[in-house]
Amino acid sequence: MRKIIIFSICFAIAGAAAIAQGFAQEDPVAARQKLMKSFGAALKPIPDMLKGAAPFDLAVVQKALATIVDGTKELPNLYPEPPKPGEKSRALPKIWEEKARFVGTYEKLGKDAAAALPLITDEASLKANFGKVAGNCKTCHDEFRKPE
Amino acid sequence: MTAPQHMVAAWDLPTRLFKWLLTLLVLLAWVSNKYGSAIPHWHIWNGYAILMLIVFRVLWGFVGGSTARFSAFSIKPSAALAYLRAQWRGMKPHYLGHNPLAAWMVLALLAALAAQAGLGLYSGDEDRIVIEGPLAKTVSDQAVAFAAHWHRLGFKLILTLVTIHIAAALAYDLLGKYGLIGAMVTGRKPADAYQDMQEAAAGSAAHAMLCLLAACAIVFGGIYLLGGNPLQ
Repeated sequence: MRKIIIFSICFAIAGAAAIAQGFAQEDPVAARQKLMKSFGAALKPIPDMLKGAAPFDLAVVQKALATIVDGTKELPNLYPEPPKPGEKSRALPKIWEEKARFVGTYEKLGKDAAAALPLITDEASLKANFGKVAGNCKTCHDEFRKPE
Repeated sequence: MTAPQHMVAAWDLPTRLFKWLLTLLVLLAWVSNKYGSAIPHWHIWNGYAILMLIVFRVLWGFVGGSTARFSAFSIKPSAALAYLRAQWRGMKPHYLGHNPLAAWMVLALLAALAAQAGLGLYSGDEDRIVIEGPLAKTVSDQAVAFAAHWHRLGFKLILTLVTIHIAAALAYDLLGKYGLIGAMVTGRKPADAYQDMQEAAAGSAAHAMLCLLAACAIVFGGIYLLGGNPLQ
């Protein structure tokens, strides 16, 4: 009986490891697109707060910034190779031609989001600090993402 | 030694100020897009200022200095052909104001910049997080994507027109000694047997101020009437 229990536990651990392995090997294109979409979704309510069309919500802003801080740690590793022909991706070849600079834009985004996190406490500080964070999106998209 | 040339008025001050301010603002429109991502209001207000200048120039085309008036523009295709033929034969036809080809260039530049600024009012970044024109909220997402697409391509058209415009001005001045660029700075040209008029009459400063005020009202009032808040 003891043997069976120990054996089962080992089996379960091996199984869990295999599943975790499977997650780790998730398609990098899908993984980075999912993270990017999570950025978009988290940031979405903020422009209305900037325009005064929606009330300032500190929790929403902090969650958005935290999403960026966490996501930008993973994103640089999710561009192993240029998209294969026919693959649904707007990543431009320039990413791999200037990989260091490309990765640097993610690092800057993460750094700016982390720096803004304690600074933003109300509508005025949101207005003063949000542009620097969101501007990184545009700078990088303009250069490294295929236009629509 | 030749005697100093007699100079005549060609472009009044409001026309020249308009021209160089527009040049500066078009340049800054590009700079603010490329390097001003963190300050989206810069690009937006730069666009308002360009729209205002264009509306000013259109109004000034009716009440401004004699060379700036649209009635002085010879835009008949036959005039352009005759001008090209005369140039080709080396007759060097001189115009105090815009020659028939230049008149077309002015209209093309104004139209392209007006379209570009107009599209900008309806544009926004794909996720509508970084930058959004004041009228983007009044139309569908597809319309915003359409405007943004043409706003991006519109820059290439402007770049093409500007390149031709500068190349032509340099060619006139370096090859033909027309003194066009200097005239756009000082407002004066050497007296010559000009085809259109011998000396320009300046527009009044009061009219210029009124045109500017009207342009301001038309741009901001127009955005407001179309359902947008230009001060967003």
